[in-house]
Amino acid sequence: MPRRCFEQVKVGDSLDPLVKGPLTSAHLMRWSAAMENWHKIHYDREFAVGHDKLPGLLVNGTFKQQFIMQLLKDWAGGEGWVWKVGFQFRAMNLVGETLSVWARVMGKRETASYGLIDLELGITNDQAKESTPGTAVVALPYEAGPPVPYPFVPHEPR
Amino acid sequence: MSLLTPDVENLIGASSEIEVACDAVEPGAVRRYAQAYMDGDSILYSEEATRGSRYGGPVAPPLFPMNMFRRPFGTPDPFAERARDPDFDGIVGSTAQGLPPLPLPLGTGLLNAGTDVELFRYARHGETVTAKSRYHSITEKQSSKGPMLLVVIQTEYRTGAGELLLRVKKTQIRR
Repeated sequence: MPRRCFEQVKVGDSLDPLVKGPLTSAHLMRWSAAMENWHKIHYDREFAVGHDKLPGLLVNGTFKQQFIMQLLKDWAGGEGWVWKVGFQFRAMNLVGETLSVWARVMGKRETASYGLIDLELGITNDQAKESTPGTAVVALPYEAGPPVPYPFVPHEPR
Repeated sequence: MSLLTPDVENLIGASSEIEVACDAVEPGAVRRYAQAYMDGDSILYSEEATRGSRYGGPVAPPLFPMNMFRRPFGTPDPFAERARDPDFDGIVGSTAQGLPPLPLPLGTGLLNAGTDVELFRYARHGETVTAKSRYHSITEKQSSKGPMLLVVIQTEYRTGAGELLLRVKKTQIRR
């Protein structure tokens, strides 16, 4: 995995989006089984629509949060670290949708040991509707510096 | 009418016991989990890729510890008693993370408003994981549908040796 450094990143940069889908009922069932989450709204269409009056099977919130973490983890690389991530589940995503996880650099801060990248992020569907807005802070090494400490040690910006 | 009664306020700061996940980080469980969300990162399975790395061996996905608290052997099957209940939605377990439930009026709803995670390191294959939660804050707001509570539950996930893995704050709306 290439080393990503603080100096290489610019405010306004967009990360390459992570695309997942179309998500079928098999994807949702597989995730529910891996999680041992048996909430029927994710795999039992008759219950989701007939009983809970939902428009279809729902993509699990926990599924979507893995996608966000995957995008950030892979972007930070083996010498960076995803320190903070926060998100809100504002809208439903339904079976059949293709989801695109996006993130954009909003700010940069420096500490004595590493740089901090502030990001805004979210998940959009085929209709470009946002469902999961959030923010993250990723620590990246300086070009001439050591890797970000692991386990991670938070430092205040200077 | 206020939902933030003295009995509810008294629970701010209340903590759960330390819970130990019934299984250590299992390679098979990591494989099923990572394949399910479609992440083929070699740090999740490869001894070769992680030998000499900062991880010290294959690791679980970043948020995996949050999902390790499953039903252990020797506990009642929650499906058995509700198998004939047409309203059973399949949800099992507690939404209060081992904390005492809030004394709220019957029928008070629950919505997940958001999650904030701080990450410190990944759990390695074979490590045990513990969780301890507390009511971080409980505040009341007025909405168009009446009063509602914003309940923030903070959970710290650690290794069996006490090393911090994740600090998670989940915000619930109760109304």
